[in-house]
Amino acid sequence: MEGSVNNTYTIKSSFFKSKQRREKIVNGIAFVFVVIFAAAVLLPLWWIIRSSLMSNGVLYSYPPSFIPYEWMVSNYSKTLETFKYWTYFKNTFTIIIPAVTFGTITAIFCGYAFARLRFKGKKLIFTLCVGTILLPGMVTLIPLYIFWTKIVGLGGTYWPLILPFLTGGGFFNIYLIRQFMTTVPKEIDESAEIDGASRMCILWSILVPNIKPAITVVILMLFIQLWNDLLQQLIYINDMNKITFAIALTNFTGSFGTKWNLAMAATCMVIAPGIVIYLIGQKSFVEGIVLTGLKT
Amino acid sequence: MDIRKQVPDIKGVLGMNNGGQIKSGRHKPFLTNSRKEAITAYLCLIPAFLGLSMISYIPTLSAFVLSLFKWNGMTSPEFIGFDNYKEMFTIDIYFTDSLKATLVYAFLAVIGSMIYSLFIAILLNMNIPARPLWRSIFFVPYMLPAIGVYTTWRWLYELNYGLFNHINRMLGLPPVKYLESPKNVLPSLALIAVWCAGNLIVIFLAGLQNVPGVYQEAAEIDGANSWQRFWYITIPYMSPIIFYNLLMALIINLQVVTPALAITNGGPQNASMFMSYLIYRYAFTKYKIGYAAAYAAIFFVLVGIFTAILFATSKYWLFYEEEGGK
Repeated sequence: MEGSVNNTYTIKSSFFKSKQRREKIVNGIAFVFVVIFAAAVLLPLWWIIRSSLMSNGVLYSYPPSFIPYEWMVSNYSKTLETFKYWTYFKNTFTIIIPAVTFGTITAIFCGYAFARLRFKGKKLIFTLCVGTILLPGMVTLIPLYIFWTKIVGLGGTYWPLILPFLTGGGFFNIYLIRQFMTTVPKEIDESAEIDGASRMCILWSILVPNIKPAITVVILMLFIQLWNDLLQQLIYINDMNKITFAIALTNFTGSFGTKWNLAMAATCMVIAPGIVIYLIGQKSFVEGIVLTGLKT
Repeated sequence: MDIRKQVPDIKGVLGMNNGGQIKSGRHKPFLTNSRKEAITAYLCLIPAFLGLSMISYIPTLSAFVLSLFKWNGMTSPEFIGFDNYKEMFTIDIYFTDSLKATLVYAFLAVIGSMIYSLFIAILLNMNIPARPLWRSIFFVPYMLPAIGVYTTWRWLYELNYGLFNHINRMLGLPPVKYLESPKNVLPSLALIAVWCAGNLIVIFLAGLQNVPGVYQEAAEIDGANSWQRFWYITIPYMSPIIFYNLLMALIINLQVVTPALAITNGGPQNASMFMSYLIYRYAFTKYKIGYAAAYAAIFFVLVGIFTAILFATSKYWLFYEEEGGK
């Protein structure tokens, strides 16, 4: 069939018709697969929500019910008796908010220098920075712990978790900002410069508004990085009044090993802020990540 | 040649080489434009310099230095040369366990999440309704805090009442020890990493949407079937993105530590004693700081080797548009 395609119009049109039909079938199959996989991805989430609303008796019965017949909202209030949600919430965001702010602002400055300014040693500095992406964080963990606790004396505070973000929060963020800034036409800077705008003015009032998607991604990446962290928080926080969601949930599920409905209520509450943030910024997050993939 | 050489001289004599303006003073101003620019650059880069020195290279070097000492973090450190390494390679029973756990887990998680995310991205790239919705759904697990993910999955894997063992029971199968058996624990944990690979899907999808249709059409007219088109056009075109995702997935999964901290504590029978977790254990629960630093140094070499292998082989399978397309 392939050989005769170009010869006569009739064969060609029937070829395209059959091709169209085949495409429709393939797309249909793809759609079915997507729906199945999406359901599989969401199933664990439904499972914890449903578990959090059941009594332990129902939870351990067989066959399992997919939907709780009695919605035990009281599980949540029972969980909150020992799981001090709002304290952990406050503690977690006391770390996240300054860290994300510091990281984003410093990443913008560094990205700007690499994207727009000429200076000696640019290539060397840039290469050294790329190298840091490949340095495993586990290797620097112990020396940094010694630095923050023995040398600077900030053990037991949140500062060792926040201050490292004054370095752009990892070179990936700086790189991302740089890549996006290079796509903004240089003429815009130049015309602003002729009008007498200073470099900082150009950066903050022209470049930054132009690279909003990149900044959204940087904020998101920093948020996820902190949101996912358990190890560093375990190391630096030793006061029970200062613990974060990550530590609190680890302790809670450990101590309530058998009361799975309460453990799941706590889990649902802990993942909720992330989901809310995702739902608010969903479009720009996903689009930002898409752009990240294309720029790197 | 001569004339060209002389022209600037004449200009210089007339004091006109400063961009056509007549020089007023004899000395060049210290703050020329380019100097100003460089100073601004260095000021902007202060965070990067701090990052490079204080949290990257100096700590890495310090880890190597610390590995030569015996230190409990309290008393003064004692220099012991390479004894930490000797102990690690000869006496330490955890060393091979941790190496095995790290490599097996990283292999399963990287391969699993790469195949899964590429497959889903290809499906999402087809002409299906409500594509942004599906894309967002697959991205959701990536937004969950790691600890929430691991508690969730601990419940799903629960031996008697977990979702998976409910399903097994419905199918008439005996319950499976997902997390309690040394044989199953690493695949079970790797599956969690696969579930969370939403970011890879989104990046792959972006790459697929960027493959120019021209090549596809040309190949189709030449009679290439869809598999051939995928293998000979899409994959080479996607190779930089595959490389990027592979590198990131490898670095992240080799450094795995949270599942051991959150669920397994390295067990059962050291099957999930990841090297990162072991470093944590030695440094922060047994206070063998120098010894943990020696592990960190070996870990650094391990990650370095794998990254180097990836970079070294990339030239055989990585195609850029300039070579592949034109």
